[in-house]
Amino acid sequence: MIQNFLSSWGLFYQTYLAGWLIILLLSLIGVLVVGRDQIFIGAAISQASTLGVALAMGATALFPEDQFPWIHSTIFLSAMAVIFSVIAASITGQGGASGKESHEAITGWVFLISASLSILIVSHSPHGLEEIHRLLSSSIIGATAVDVWVFGILTIFTALLLTIFYRKILLFSLDTSMAVAIGMRIKIWNVITSAWLGLAVGLSIRASGMLYTFGCLVLPALVAKNLCREVRHMFLVAPVVGLLVGITGFVLANGYDYPPGQMTVTLFCLLLVLVWIFRRLGYKSGL
Amino acid sequence: MENKEFIFKMNGLSMAYGDRTILSNINLVVRPGEFWFLLGPNGVGKTTLLKALLGMHQPQQGHLQLHPKFAQGNFVGFVPQRCDLNPTLPTTVKEFVLLGLAGIRTSKGAELERLRWALEKMKLEEMIDKNYWSLSGGQRQRALVARALIRRPKLLIVDEPTKDLDLTAANALMESLTDLNRKENLTILFVTHDLTLAAHYATHIALFLDGHVEAGLCHTILNQENLERAYGVPVSIWQEPSGALNVRINGTGGLR
Repeated sequence: MIQNFLSSWGLFYQTYLAGWLIILLLSLIGVLVVGRDQIFIGAAISQASTLGVALAMGATALFPEDQFPWIHSTIFLSAMAVIFSVIAASITGQGGASGKESHEAITGWVFLISASLSILIVSHSPHGLEEIHRLLSSSIIGATAVDVWVFGILTIFTALLLTIFYRKILLFSLDTSMAVAIGMRIKIWNVITSAWLGLAVGLSIRASGMLYTFGCLVLPALVAKNLCREVRHMFLVAPVVGLLVGITGFVLANGYDYPPGQMTVTLFCLLLVLVWIFRRLGYKSGL
Repeated sequence: MENKEFIFKMNGLSMAYGDRTILSNINLVVRPGEFWFLLGPNGVGKTTLLKALLGMHQPQQGHLQLHPKFAQGNFVGFVPQRCDLNPTLPTTVKEFVLLGLAGIRTSKGAELERLRWALEKMKLEEMIDKNYWSLSGGQRQRALVARALIRRPKLLIVDEPTKDLDLTAANALMESLTDLNRKENLTILFVTHDLTLAAHYATHIALFLDGHVEAGLCHTILNQENLERAYGVPVSIWQEPSGALNVRINGTGGLR
């Protein structure tokens, strides 16, 4: 099986590398999402990103390519995915204060409006509908060298930011009251983290689809949460576990001819169940 | 006393939300080593005053003056009423307290030295590697104080820390805070509804009355007339043989 995988390397190495870099990137950011217990936000942002792509596809039907070539470019599609992710991340970051709507309600609204509109917008465009279905079902086949570079740079940049501003990011993400009290500018931090999350999710959606993006965002961090004693360890365990599962998933998918995205997410889910059982048994035996 | 250096001064300070004035013409001088209790019913502006000190809310009028010596670095340590941390998240007491160093650059050795000091002051040295969520309510509250202390503040603001604690845990916390106040000369601003605690531990009191603040030494402010004006109910106040003040809100069936 491994031999088969290695022989497919020449043809699919960009897909594999992009897929693994997406796991590394999203698992780092996912620790903060899981840390805030706002897992559904990941789904809502991913769905909003799909709406951005649907709108871009819808625009291609309205604006002829000879007059508006940029609207028909892949950069425009990616930009719309990122813009809508950032908007969704900003909106879902609101609420929760007394007198305002809850986080869950706002997040649910973002998810539902994005899910329904993205289909409505492209429902009369066979090509658009196919693209949206591809994004929703997740296919990471077809990643390019540009994707590899973009996710590589984004992952390194994310790791650097987390290393340099580790405590500030953690305090802002996990205990906002204290962050305010020590003078952190919460509004600026909100803008930065929303843009960061939106950029990572938006670009991942374009390259790998919703299921894979959402799965990589929350599942490695959830596994790490159950294995670690401290949050700082989660930032190491989540990407390492994510990468191991990603490699296994791609090898198995290649060997048995299954879609790699779905295979990887399924493995993450199975691992999470194992970790839950392990933790439960450990808890019962007093470990 | 008048010549003693101050930590902060409020001169004619007024605070408002939009057109609604919450506090007007507040004059308050807080000096090093004082243990202030901020007393008053809900909604009288105690939290608004804290927000002014933390720089979260700008005064409408007047000004807040920090002593230049104390204004540098990490002037204020804040212990919030509650901790926002997700209770399913794994964290140890060590990691939780070290989070208080956000924005402060120190060497690894200095970090650990600060950690040990803060935990020792809050009597949590033995708990350093324990899961924060396995601690009792009182220990968690002391860990919150340790997280503020690790910044080595000149002024510690504590917002209703004993609210959900049983008597033993509340007493343990108060003893630790009193130790800090006396041995480390740390200035403390303590927000509470508990008049008995104020009578026992305060050196100074700021009593919030109809948008104004009566402030001064504990024995001068904590009297029947002021308390009845502030709370709108009959109050008994007497001195124990030990010299300590004691307070009872009549008709509530016990001390508060």
